[in-house]
Amino acid sequence: MTFSDKIEEWIKEVEARPESALTLMRLIANRLRDLSERDEQLLAENIALQNGTRVEEYQKRIAHLEYQLDLLKRHVGAEGLTLPDLPAEAERAVSASLLVYNGQGRIFRVEAATDGAAKLGRIAGSLSTDHEPPRLLALPSNEEALLFFSSGRVGTLSVGDLPLVETGNAWEWDQAALPDEPRPGETLVCVIPFSRLPVSEYFVQVSRRGCVKKTMTSLAQSILGNRYLGKGTLGKSDQPFELALCGRGGRLAFVTCEGRLLGLDVDGLSYTAEERIRLSATDFVIAAFTPRPEDALIFITQNGKVLHREGQALEPAKSPSARGQALIPANRLEQGIRFIGAAALRDGERIAALDASGAINVYDAGAVTGSGTLGTGGLILSIGVVPSQSGTPGGA
Amino acid sequence: MSLKVGLDFGTSNSGVAVYDGTRVRLLPVDPKNVLPEVIKTVLYITRDYRALIGQEAVEAYYRDHVGRRRHFVKQWAGEIDVYGADMHYVRDIFVYVDELKPGRLLQYLKTALRKESYQGTRIFERHFTPGDLAETYLALLKRRAEEVLGERIEAVTLGRPVKFSESPEQDRRAEETLLAAAHEAGFKQVDFELEPIAAALDYEQTVAAPQNVVIFDFGGGTLDIAVMRLGDPRRREVFASGGVDIAGSDFDRAIIEKRMLAHFGHGQAGQHPQVREMIHAIPDWMALPELGTPINRNALEKAIQAGVAPVRLKALESLIYNDLAFTFYNRVEAAKIALSSEGATVISLEDKDIALWELYARHQFEADIHHYLLAVEKVLLDTLTASGLDPAEIDAVVKTGGSSSIPLFTSMLARIFGAEKVKASSQFSSVAAGLAIRART
Repeated sequence: MTFSDKIEEWIKEVEARPESALTLMRLIANRLRDLSERDEQLLAENIALQNGTRVEEYQKRIAHLEYQLDLLKRHVGAEGLTLPDLPAEAERAVSASLLVYNGQGRIFRVEAATDGAAKLGRIAGSLSTDHEPPRLLALPSNEEALLFFSSGRVGTLSVGDLPLVETGNAWEWDQAALPDEPRPGETLVCVIPFSRLPVSEYFVQVSRRGCVKKTMTSLAQSILGNRYLGKGTLGKSDQPFELALCGRGGRLAFVTCEGRLLGLDVDGLSYTAEERIRLSATDFVIAAFTPRPEDALIFITQNGKVLHREGQALEPAKSPSARGQALIPANRLEQGIRFIGAAALRDGERIAALDASGAINVYDAGAVTGSGTLGTGGLILSIGVVPSQSGTPGGA
Repeated sequence: MSLKVGLDFGTSNSGVAVYDGTRVRLLPVDPKNVLPEVIKTVLYITRDYRALIGQEAVEAYYRDHVGRRRHFVKQWAGEIDVYGADMHYVRDIFVYVDELKPGRLLQYLKTALRKESYQGTRIFERHFTPGDLAETYLALLKRRAEEVLGERIEAVTLGRPVKFSESPEQDRRAEETLLAAAHEAGFKQVDFELEPIAAALDYEQTVAAPQNVVIFDFGGGTLDIAVMRLGDPRRREVFASGGVDIAGSDFDRAIIEKRMLAHFGHGQAGQHPQVREMIHAIPDWMALPELGTPINRNALEKAIQAGVAPVRLKALESLIYNDLAFTFYNRVEAAKIALSSEGATVISLEDKDIALWELYARHQFEADIHHYLLAVEKVLLDTLTASGLDPAEIDAVVKTGGSSSIPLFTSMLARIFGAEKVKASSQFSSVAAGLAIRART
């Protein structure tokens, strides 16, 4: 249809209903005004392109960003590093806090001792909720934390806002902070530090049955705005277990209760939940973390035995549904040995452990890996890694 | 006794109502909508299979899709057996899937029930049949109604068109699918009432003396007509009923086919059959969102590079790859609605690489849908003949449903029956109200 035909049709409309003339004139006049404004904008843009001012403007912006990056590198003493390797903030002398939290969203925050082994305190009363022991996470006191719930919901919290409980005392869950109460039918799955979000590329979710899903952190604004990340599970019986931030080229390790270790290249992970390990009916994931190549890996059994492996021992699985490396021989499994935690460790870091009596103790990692045991004598429920200063925290 | 409600599962809009014997209460099931008693029949399913309905679904769709990234991966879809004269081999079939797609928005769930060719759709890893989609929507609508009422709803009177389909077999199958979906959604007791008869029951509340009435229920998916005797609840009589699957969505399609395709390169992509196919798929609300594959993008880019209507094909690319389909259909529908009260309106869509502007007058719209007017008039007169009544014996013509306010059809009714007999009922809620009355009796 030509434009003249259209004009003919508009005229016919006016002939049929003369009152339409006013509406047609108003709509055409509005269009003319819009077009003339746009014409002026295009002319201005054309002039800016022709005389080079637009190019200069972008060059200035790039130069300004490069200057800011140099300043940041000098500030953190990392002139040789590339952008993803930079810490999110300049390091400051901040104390480390240990968070002890349960599925009901209750969180204790205790000041982790500065160095060496220490007794931090004891949880009085019931330890488990829904057969899940409390989990431990050590992180700097000025850190921001992300709370991940079993429904796929997320929330944020500033660690410094949590009240401190006194070291060495017995703590009741009733006294613990409840910063974001789980909704009906929902449990708090894990808490992770997330100040490194701007320099991370992916959120990686791991479920109890070994489903893995990654999500680009470029969607973080939408995720945090909607307070929803998704469960990252496939089957109805499966439950979300861990969430981690990871950069491009990173590795993901996860360990199961029956001592299977699986390494995965994060870049190769799917954006949809995918089962990545073939587990026996009774097995489930008990730890998931993103180690660096130089990290040591430790694996802890329910009776406090510690297995130590070099970071290079972690081989990325090639098969989409691997069985993972066995950490202990089958006869040890038949004897009832099970794993309760695993983590990546760096020099100077310590291990916090919660035992079945509710006691939380901190151990020197070097001593523990040397002796091969935590030496508590009791059952261990959870572990966490206490960073040497305000380094990357960890927990399992 | 368990609570029983009337539920109008409409093609474009739905509603729920209860009747206490004296007064019908339409439930505000969509507080975010301009009319909270009316809820859009749209369903949004996220990648994690969270389902949302109504305005909440629309908002979530926009929030998740505006400016989003795409990443296509090749996925194995199945295999086909290829037979030749002396050979047979099996070939794998792969499809490109956007693994960053956050969710799917589904409209016209009721139309899907009556389309024989529509077997359902794959949403991420799961296949949803038309029944599954209806069940998901009805379950959420039921939950919302229960929240409003503060008690469990176990029984429902569901509206259904006079004819889901011209084929009796497909009509029976559509009703069975809807019945099963309602049971799966949690309604223990389900019965049906024809939508025009439900609208008549609502109108009867306003009638003082018995009347012969034509109900002209013209919604988003079908036209339903009933000729009835109303006014005395003990002596109601349905003289005849009829219907045809012409309605609002057909008019939207006519507008797109006749006025919009030229903006996307129609008639200018001669040597590019793949591009031509994409253009022809624009009016199909089910097909357009599926066009966003890397292969199609490649074909579009090649045509643009070759100088084939570059501005229009860029607009087509933007329509497909910037997830503008839903916005586009909404704009077309909004223009159609505006023409019920205005002599002219504008259909416009502005986004990256797209600047669509079409001045559209009522005269043009009426010319574009004139063939539907003839079909509608024929069904109306056939139904009237079947009732044994003359137009002069009809006391009132009650029009309901969104499409019934299109002036072309109002004029037709006035021409046949006389303007003074044509009465407007509540466009979107009279069927739900009538179903609630039926549920109580």
